[in-house]
This record gives sequence, C-alpha cells and structure tokens, in this order.
Amino acid sequence: MMKAMKNSIKIFLGATLMILFSCSEDLLQRDPISSFSAQGFYQTSSDAQAGVYGIYDAVQATFSINFAYWGEGRADAVNTNQAGDPFLLQQNTLNSILASARWNNIYETISRANYAIKYVPTVFEGDSEFGIQLVAQARALRALSYFYAVRVWGDVPLILEPYESIQQDIFPTRTSKELVLNQIEADLLFASANCRANFGGQRDRILITKGGADAMLTHLYMWKKDYASAIQSAERVMNNNLYSLVTINDWSRIFTQGYTNESIFEIGYNEVQRNSLRILYALGSDSNFFPSVSFRNAFEEGDLRRDLIYDVTETQPRKIWKYFGQGFSDESPEPSDKNIVMFRLADIILLKAEAHHQLGETIEALQLLNIIRTRAGLPNLDIQGAIDLYGDVESAILHERLIELSFEGHRWFDLVRTGKAIEVMNPINGLNDEANLLWPIHEDALNRNPSLVQNSFYQ
Amino acid sequence: MSQININALFKFAGSQLVFRIRLLLLFIFIGSLSASAQESSIKGRVTDSKTGEPIFGAIVMVKGTSKGTSADIDGFYSLGNVSEQDILRFSYLGFETKELRVGNLSELNVSLESSTSDLNEFVVVGYGVQEKRNLTGSIASVSSKEIAQTNFQDPISVLQGRAPGVQVTSNSGAPGGGMTINIRGNSSLNAGNSPLFVVDGVPIETNVTSSLNGTENFGLNPLADINPTDIESIEVLKDAASTAIYGSRAANGVVMITTKRGKSGKPQVDLNIHSGISTVSRRLSVLNASQYRSAVIDSYRNANSNEAIIPAVLDSLSAVNNGDFDWQSELFRVARQNNVDFSIRGGSDNVRYAWSSSFFDQDGIILNSNYKRITSRLNVDFDVSDRLTIGQSVSYTNAVNNRSNAAGSGNLSIVRELLIRPPTFAMYLPDGSLNGYQLGRRNPVGLAELSTNINKSNRVIASQYAEYRIAEGLKFRSSINVDFVSMKEDTFIPTILDFREGYNTGSVRSSNNITWANENILTYQKQFGTSHNFGALAGFSYQDWKYERAGLDGLFFTSDNIRTLNGAGTISNQDVNIATEHSMLSYFGRVSYDYERKYLFEANIRADGSSRFGRDNRFGYFPSAAVGWRFSDEGVFSNANFMDDGKLRFSAGKTGNEAIGNYTSQGEFMVGTNYLDFSGASPSVMPNSGLTWETTTQYNAGVDLSFWQSKLIINFDAYIKNTNDLLYNVPIPRETGFDFITQNIGSIQNKGLELLISTRNLETKDFSWTTNFNISSNRNMVKSLPENVLTNGFIQNGAYHILKEGYPIGTFFGWRFDGVYASDEDNVNGITNGAQGPVYRGGDPIWHDLNGDGYIDQNDRQIIGNATPDFFGGINNDFTYKNFSLSLFFQFSYGNDIYSEINHQRNSIVRYNNLSADALNRWRQQGDITNYPKPVRDDPLQSMSRVQSRWVEDGSYIKLKNVHFRYSLPSAILNRWKISKLDAHITATNLITWTNYTGYDPDVNSFSGLRVGVDEGSYPQSRTIILGLNIGL
Repeated sequence: MMKAMKNSIKIFLGATLMILFSCSEDLLQRDPISSFSAQGFYQTSSDAQAGVYGIYDAVQATFSINFAYWGEGRADAVNTNQAGDPFLLQQNTLNSILASARWNNIYETISRANYAIKYVPTVFEGDSEFGIQLVAQARALRALSYFYAVRVWGDVPLILEPYESIQQDIFPTRTSKELVLNQIEADLLFASANCRANFGGQRDRILITKGGADAMLTHLYMWKKDYASAIQSAERVMNNNLYSLVTINDWSRIFTQGYTNESIFEIGYNEVQRNSLRILYALGSDSNFFPSVSFRNAFEEGDLRRDLIYDVTETQPRKIWKYFGQGFSDESPEPSDKNIVMFRLADIILLKAEAHHQLGETIEALQLLNIIRTRAGLPNLDIQGAIDLYGDVESAILHERLIELSFEGHRWFDLVRTGKAIEVMNPINGLNDEANLLWPIHEDALNRNPSLVQNSFYQ
Repeated sequence: MSQININALFKFAGSQLVFRIRLLLLFIFIGSLSASAQESSIKGRVTDSKTGEPIFGAIVMVKGTSKGTSADIDGFYSLGNVSEQDILRFSYLGFETKELRVGNLSELNVSLESSTSDLNEFVVVGYGVQEKRNLTGSIASVSSKEIAQTNFQDPISVLQGRAPGVQVTSNSGAPGGGMTINIRGNSSLNAGNSPLFVVDGVPIETNVTSSLNGTENFGLNPLADINPTDIESIEVLKDAASTAIYGSRAANGVVMITTKRGKSGKPQVDLNIHSGISTVSRRLSVLNASQYRSAVIDSYRNANSNEAIIPAVLDSLSAVNNGDFDWQSELFRVARQNNVDFSIRGGSDNVRYAWSSSFFDQDGIILNSNYKRITSRLNVDFDVSDRLTIGQSVSYTNAVNNRSNAAGSGNLSIVRELLIRPPTFAMYLPDGSLNGYQLGRRNPVGLAELSTNINKSNRVIASQYAEYRIAEGLKFRSSINVDFVSMKEDTFIPTILDFREGYNTGSVRSSNNITWANENILTYQKQFGTSHNFGALAGFSYQDWKYERAGLDGLFFTSDNIRTLNGAGTISNQDVNIATEHSMLSYFGRVSYDYERKYLFEANIRADGSSRFGRDNRFGYFPSAAVGWRFSDEGVFSNANFMDDGKLRFSAGKTGNEAIGNYTSQGEFMVGTNYLDFSGASPSVMPNSGLTWETTTQYNAGVDLSFWQSKLIINFDAYIKNTNDLLYNVPIPRETGFDFITQNIGSIQNKGLELLISTRNLETKDFSWTTNFNISSNRNMVKSLPENVLTNGFIQNGAYHILKEGYPIGTFFGWRFDGVYASDEDNVNGITNGAQGPVYRGGDPIWHDLNGDGYIDQNDRQIIGNATPDFFGGINNDFTYKNFSLSLFFQFSYGNDIYSEINHQRNSIVRYNNLSADALNRWRQQGDITNYPKPVRDDPLQSMSRVQSRWVEDGSYIKLKNVHFRYSLPSAILNRWKISKLDAHITATNLITWTNYTGYDPDVNSFSGLRVGVDEGSYPQSRTIILGLNIGL
C-alpha cells in the first residue's frame, strides 16, 4: 500500500510539474473581464456605437458648469458674490489656477473622439453607412470641443490621432488658431454631409444630427466672419423640418423640460448624470451668478420673457428662473438634472439676421429679428426704431440675443466675436487689452507639458 | 535503528507537540536515525521542576550522536546502548535544556526548569519553522501571552509598539476600522506599502475594501476577521533573507499569523468572557451659539460683502436656527462591548484538534455604530499512517459592521459635522419632525439614527494539507488554500434627510473575493556526522485571485421603511457589476547549512510570474542569502560566563512588489461611461507593455546577545533597503486624453536601526518584574526621480505632500504662516495675494514671501513638516506578585508631524461652519495682536484653505496604551474545584496620552496610500475599560 501510494505521489508530482511548466503562459494570461484591453475594444458595431456614446459622456462633463463660466462669466448679464471662478471672471482678474482655465475635459472628449474616428471604420467592412454616421458624430463632437478651445485659449494643441503608446509625442505644442478653425470646419462639413438627418423622438435633440452640424457651422462662420457661408448653413437649419419656434407659452419648457421642437442640440442629463445648473443660477444668495442690474434694465416694456427668466419678485433678484421655471425657490446646493441647451432655432435665426446685416441686407435682418421680438410680445422694429432704441441694427440684434439667449452661454462669445467685449466690459471691470480676451492656460497643464507657452497677457 | 520504535516516535511527535514544532523535530530525528554501538541501558523520568508533573514528549538525546528517545505520557524514558562517558541531553520546548553524564547510573530522573528565556523558542518562518536562536534573518514575534494582555480584537493592533521596525497607525477609531501597517518604512510610491499576511501558511487577501464609501470611511480592517484569541503567535519577517521566499509580494515584509492547534491528551477547555465600556478619548472645543453668530457676522463684514441680507443662521428667533448645541454631546455616547470566546483543544494518538468559537459585540462611541463578529475555527491533524499526516484548518467569520459615515467633506459626513455643524441649527422643527436638511447640511443625528450604512461580510480561510514522509529526512507536503470573502453592503438615506420631496436614495453592493492557491513543497533535512546540519527545500505554487462585484443604486423608494432595492422607483445602474482576476505562478527553494550551530548559512530563491505584467517581463527572480556566526561558542568567549549566547548575522537579498492594477500593462477601455441610457465605453488606461516589478534590495546586519542566564537579552538590527523601478502613475499632459501612465521610475531608500531589550529585573519566590523595551528608527528618502516627472523639482503628491529627491515620503509642502497682520499698516512691503491680487490687510495671515518678489503665489511654498517619526516603539513592564499580575504597556512615537486637516476644517468658517474655541482670539479690529486670522466668508484669499504650516503640528506622543491587571486563582483551589484555570482581569486601553497635538488623537493616519500623517477627521479614538474572566477546565 505504501509503495502504491509512493508511486501515485510520484506520478501526481510529475504530472503536475509537467502541466505547470507546459502551460504557464496560459495560466498567466489574464484578459480584463469587465472592461476591454486597449486592443480588445472596437471589434463589433455595438463597440463602435458605445465608443461614440462615450464621447457624449465626456461632453456632459465638459459643459456641466463651464458652459456658463466660459459663455457668461466674463460678460455683462451676470453678477456674482461668489469667490473663485465667478468672482475672478466677473472682476476680470483671471489667473492660471481657475477651474475654467482647465481644458482636461475638452481634451478627454477629443481623445475619445480620436479613438472613435480611427477605430470605428475598422469595425465595418467597406463603406458602411452606419459607420460613417458614427464617425460623423465623433467629428462633430471633436469640432465642438476645439471650437470652445479656440475661443477660450486661442492657439491650442491640435491632436487628431489617439494616444496609444508612450512612444508618441506626449508633449504637443500649440497650433495656430487658424489651422484649428480649418480643422473644425472640415470636421463640421463632414458631419453636415454624413450625420443622420434624424433619429426619431427625443434623440433628435440630444444627439448630433445634420441640423446640429449645420448649427455649429453657422456659429463657426459667424466667428470667422464668413457671413455668406453662415447664411447658407443657417438656411439649412431653418429649412430643416425638425425645428420650429415654440410659442411664448412653451418658451420656458425649452429649458425646464427640454426636447422641444426649437432645440437643435442640447446636452442630456438625468437624475444620475447631473450638472451644475442649480449651483450656477438657482440658489438665491448663494448661487454663482445672478442677473446684473444692467441686464435687468435692458428689458423693453412688455417683454413677456422677463418673468420667465429671473425672480422678479425681489428688489435685488438673486435667482435665475430660466432653467427651473417661474417661482422656483429651492435653495439646496445640489446638482441638477436639466438638460443644457447648446443650440436652438432662435439662436440660429438671430445669427442669420446678424449675417444679413453684415452683408448690408438689413431688411432680411430685421425680418428675422422681428420673428423673435414678436414671440416675446414686442413690437416690430424698423431701421429707425432699431437706431432709436439701440443705436444701430447690429446692436438691436445683439440686444435681442442678450435677452432671448440670456444665461445660455452665448453672451461672452457674442461680445468677442463682434468686437464689443472691451467696449461693454471696460466700464464694469476695466477690461482693456485684446490679449486679455483669452483665458490663461491652467498652471497644471503648463506644469505637465513643458512645450506649452502661456498666453501673452498672463505671462 | 532497532532501539527506537519509529512508529512510536512518529506517534509521539505527531500527538504531543504542536504542529509547527513537530515538523522541525521530525527533521532532527529522522536525520539522526543512524545505527550506533551499544553498551548498557538507562531509564528514568522527566518532570517539571515547578509542578512535578511529568513532561510527556521530553526529548532525551545522547550528546554528539543521533541517538535518542522521548518520554512517554508519564514522563518515563529508557535508552539502551549508552556508555558511561555519554552525556544525556534532556530538552523540551519551553524548558531549559539540561545535560547530565550517564556515569554508572542505570536510572536518571531529571526535573527540567521552565525556560524563562525565549532563546529556545521556535519561530515560524516562510514555509517552515526555525529555532529562534539559530535565526540568521530579522524576525519580530508577538506571543499569545502578549495578545492576551491586550483587549484588541484584531491582530494588527496587537503589533502596535510591540514589534521593532513595525509602525502601526490607526486610520479610524471606528469598531472594525482600518489600520495602516508599515514594516521598515514606505518603500513604494503607489504600488502599495502593506505587508503580505500569511495565516497558517495561507497568503490572505488584504485588499478587501468596502465598495460603498470605502476610502472615505477610512477603510476596514481586513484582519479583523481573525479572532486574536485563536492566535498562537505573530511573526513579522523583515529582512530579505526571511522574506525573499515570498518573492514578489514581500518587499513590504511578511506578517505570519499562526493559530493554535491541538495537542494530544486531555482536552483543554477555555472560556473567556469580557464586558467593557468605551468613551471618546478626548473632546474638542467648539463655539456656542452666540459666539458662533458673532463669528459669522465678522465673516460677512470681513468679506466686505455688499449683501444686505442677514444670513438666516443669525436669526435666533427662527424655529430652525434657535439651537445651541455642542454636537459632540449629541453624537458621542458611552459604548458597551461584550465578548465570549470558547475553545476546546486536545487530541488522541492519531488525531489532534483545536476547536473554537467566539462572539464579539462592540458599540462605537458614535451613536448607532456597532460591530458584531462571530468567529469559528477548527484545526485538525490526522496521522493516517506512519508516513502520512493530513490536516485542515478552517475558519469562518461573520461580521456585521453598522458604520458611521465619515465621508470627507461631503454633507453625509457625521464625523466632520460633529465639529463644524452650526450650533444654532435646531434638532427638530416646530411640527416635531426632525430638522433633517438645512442649508446643504444633513442632520448628523438623523444620519446616525435613520440612515443605513451597513457592511456584512462572511469570510472563510481554509487550508488543507497532506504531508508524506518519503524517506529519512525527506518529506513532501502539498496544500490547497482558500481565502473567500463575501461582502454585502447597504446604504440608504431616507427622505427626511434630503432636500427634495419624496427623494430618498439607496445602494446595494455585493462582492466576492476569492483567492486560492496550491502549494507543493519538498523538504530535506539531514545531519552529517556530528557537526554538519544540512537542509533544503524546493517548491512551486500557483495562486489565483478573482474579484466580482454587483450592485444597484436606486432613487425614489416607495417608502423609507422598505430599504431593499426592489422598493426603488428608479434604478440607476452605474459601474456596479465588475469582475477582475489575476494569477501568479511561482517556484522557490532554500538551502541551509550549519556547522555545530556555530556557523550558520541560508540561501533562498523564488521566481514569480504574474499576469499583471507584460508578456516580456512576466517573471521576476528574488534571491537572498544569510550567514550567522555564534561567536559565543568560540574559545575566546566560552569562558565568559556572563554571556549565554552571542550571535552575529548578516543577510542580503531582493524582493518585489507587483501591487498595480490587474490590467494596467495592457491598457483598458472602461464601460459605463454612458450618455443618458445609451451605453458608452471609453479609453481609461493608457497601455504600457514594458511595465515590470518594483524591486527592493535589502541588507541587514544584526546581533543577538543573552547575558546572565537570559536576564538580559538584546537584539539589535541595522538595515538598508533600496527600492528601484518604482511603479508610479506618472502625470502626463491632459492633451493626450489621459491623466497619467504607470511607469517604472526612480528609487527610494529606507535605512534604520531596531533595538529590542528584554530584562528580568527581579525574581523572587513571590515577585517578579520583567521589562520589554523596543525602539526603532527608520530614515526614508526618495533617492531619485526622473526629470520628466518633476515640476519645479518635485512631484506634488496629493494636496499636502511632495516627493522630492533627498526628502522622505510624507514631506508636507505649503505656505509658511508667520502670524497675522495686526493692522493694514503692518504690511509695510505691500505684499499682495498673487501678482495682481489684493494687498494683505489687518487680520490677514502673514505668509512667508519665500522668494521676496512681493507677492504670495505657488512659488512661495516650502517644506513645512515631515510625517515620519524620528523613532517609535514601546515598553512593557510585567509584574507578578503571587497570583496577581500587572502589565503596563506604553507606546510612543517621536518627531513626526501631523497635518491636521480637521483643524483646518474646524477653523474655517467658509459660509456657516462652526469654529473651534480658538476663534475667540480672532482678529477683530485694526491693532489686534493675535495669531488667529479674521474669518472671511468664502475665504477668498485662501487664508485657511491653503496648505500651510499653521495646520502642521507636532505629533509626538507617549500613550499608556494598555494596562492589564489579572488575578489567577491559586492552584490549590483550582485542584479542589477540578478546573485548571480561573482568572479575572481588568484591561484598559488608551488610558492616558501625553501629547501636544490638538486633534482627537495623535495616533492617526489618512486612509489612502502615501497621504501619511494627515488627520482628515476620521472616527475618533476611544478609551476602553473591560472586565474579563478566563476559565479553563
């Protein structure tokens, strides 16, 4: 018995050793289970779809609070009592440790888009329409990111390939903004041509469609002062039967409920994927921004939007009601689940009005302006009326944008685009240097990347 | 060979001695079974000199030969073939060895004195046991006796102050709360600094983290699952010679926990019960309601706020603001604890068993926090035949931890709310309901009483082995080990604590962590001639780790009374179902040789292959060697009769660290980056296929001395530990889309000295006094960091620390606080806050303008402290008088700084925070001379929030950590009652602390990795007094 046991042990030992030696490589190969290895993703069309939704996820994070810091914080519609970004932006004392000087989320979005743009086509055989539509969305979101980056920091590193190895140049330099703008145009033209016209239902508002690409193109051309192209793309938006202006009775719902027919692209949020709208606008004395005196005084008599935009019951209004509805008074500093409307039809109509005016087509400009004024319960303006009230037609349109698009993150870029930023802000905070119109690059970015040079004003 | 019945020997060996010792004896005996000549025979009886009881299994050897036998159950032995010149050597574990000449005697009765020195003890080493006196490595050990003197319910706490070179700090004073254990300094940047824990040979998983608020709650104690009463000994392997046999997981040392096993003979029944109470060890000052209101008004005024609004908190007539609370009084309580522990240990000829069970129930000092634990263990060994022994150790632990939320600065934190919640907030609303939510703050009493934050775990640690003695000195052992942890966690926050109507939230997580291993070891032990002892070991093992987690988060529960997720109106499923795995294949070996136990030599090697590393770098090789010289046996010293033993030892070797993410080298795409309901995925880890081990090379020199029959024992060790190829998450430009990439960079050095002195100061018939003292000093230094990871010459390591060449890990970096400007004019140089910021005025802090450029910015930061102690240790004094015994254990740490984040929190008003009573001395008007700056709403100049020397405090302390007073019933009474033991004891923990630190307790650590020495405001420590009874049958 002993001997048998001895032998069996020998056999067991020998066998185990052989097994262990022969398949040690397999024993030690462990692939991820709940995630993909870098090489293991982008195998199927559902991977491709998921990769693109992942870009939207980064977009949610990017604009959660920064749509207002970037688009409103430095402009005249808001005022603040809040230390940190709101105060420093409003006082025009920007520094390189501002939260809004970080571009981390923008580049994370770009990185995800670059992965999708490179790998989505590898999933599909030949020219799959679905694949091209996905790439078109990815390129549109990349363009959106770069468009903000260029407007906030000027020259920025232009990265069009995903980072997959430490051997790549991980210390990119800044690319001139003209080149970046050209890339944005190329991406948006591709998106305009290849995005889906519609998805059906609510998805038409929260995913990038052809209309969304056209709306972005309109903004891009206005920024580049290419007014004829802006008019063309705006026309495509206005002719798109997905979009129509809501009535003034439903105007509030554009923001409080979302998914209205006026919306072209809004970033979707929900109970778990939340943003900072409440903290930005709705906490009363503690919110980041409240309506400035000049903004409150800018309303024309009889403007039906006023009661919908801010708390008119207070002599010193502190709450912006626009996103939460008239009478909203909950002061809890919690995140919000409302969508953030990025582009809507009224915005594009007013941009088109501005473009016509720039090309001397004032009649067309006023026609478009009056569409928006009429809805707000205001009388039509003719040229003389515009001059009497606002000095000139351009100012009348800009004023209309100030009210109609208030707190939606357009005001600062409107001021910069039309060259009025210094004129408007100098009396408020002393802004007087063109170079100061850009943000500083965040200290952390400079520390991490020695190839970056700070914007001249902040050196 | 004929004289010794081998069967009987094996039976004796197996049946009498505890398992770990048996192994070694087997080596010795099997190695010594060679034939010899014969003369006459001798017999006799071996007894205990103290009790007169027979010593069953005492070893009787003919000196200089391999001839020997052992005493039977009545202590009798007989030995044939001895000559008159032979010297008999009588030995037994725990007794002094005695040598007597045979002469012309035919009967030789011997009484052995119980050993007071620990020199003859055996210690557990990697894959074996070793006689303590023959150690060549550096090993600290803590015995069951020492454990019994404490009231700690986990093995890590026991080590605090008792093992030289082992630094233990508390992350949390919560029942079952986390500890940080650090052996010979931090040797890793982010690959983990926790040692490897091995329980009865099973390497166990210690990364058992809570998946809900895990880090924010300062962790759980993964070893709280082991009942300390079950522990026979804890050994801490420190130098490379001791640890290298564990290779790639041994760079931070190895802690070996050995549980008690059965002995053949009459069953020993033990019942231990205790009950006790705990109170918070210290309370901190806060402002009362009127002092608080005045501070808030100051903060508004100082902010020059154009706000006309009077903050609601000032309205003392408002129903929600008319309170006046010290919230500590509302939340702290006198907490009780109870423990029952029952065991039966014994065995027959072929079977030995140790069976134990315990129930522990401890309330925390914060309302409603509680920890309950049931442990149960069975260790059995069977002798199947002369050659085969099989056995199993199984332990099962069920723990339910009702936790208090300590979550950082969030509004869920009970612990921070204790100190910073406005005293004015009312507890109840006029309608009698709880004031659950006010100004972004949840009511902490409501959180403690009404919310759920519970962690339930089940753990099985099991090991099954078979050991086959193939031939003389040669045996094979194979074991299968399993460590299985299943954890379920629930959280729930009821509607009343939320600001929204009908809005309640709940989460559930369920996780399984299973580690299994197969280990196969061949050992050989042989004595050649009379002087050459040779040993060898070869083995291989395969280990596999799997972790799975599933869970749900829900909102809008139908009722606050249904807290399971089926009651949720909305389910949000986010990153809660994941699985990861990891495997390791290892080959290891050891050879040892000694000549007359005078010249000792040992060498180890281990090869580890890990799935975590890239294909090309999978295997790492970890060799070590040690030599020892017992100089006391050399001629020069052999006449020095004041010295019993003297030994020098040296060791060197290499160990590794593989503690990185399971898939880091491959790169990762994470799923769950969803957009609304659309499933998304995105790149999350940038691949680096070149990743490999972190390796530590360690040199150790030591000396062990024993004087005057072990009245004075000194162990001294000096070491240098160099760690290279540090695994580090190197920050890279965010333009890449990634935050960092894990790389092997740089090196760290630890060097230190450890001294252990134990003395028997006084020994009379009735009275004895012994002292154990240990002190350790470790110097940690970052030796090199690659240029490309440095900014301004250093790496910012979290908010408070930097990593810089030439400086230790735990270096605090920030602004130097030089007091407060008494008036605007005091700022004569017009120093400004940042290049374009406002000029500092009266009441603002005076920051040291390091570079003298006239403004305070990032470049004015400097080193403001260091979290590592100059030295630390403990001293234990044991006094016995007749049947009374008293042990006083002091533990100390000297020269370490604490960054008191909690003091920042409780001195920073922000909006409505309450302040410490120090704020009564705040700057109020021009000309005030004080060290307390003016409170400013929102702190726009970061007066309080910037990392600053004001929050760095001396963390040195001495603690009367443990007092243990025991009365044992005299044996006369015991005999009459037919019981073997009846002891009553009082044990007090954390009785007195001498320190200058102003927080709750200087024994504090942050919860994560390298954030050493930061007091983040964890669950406070408590002072505990228990009464206990030990009964033995």
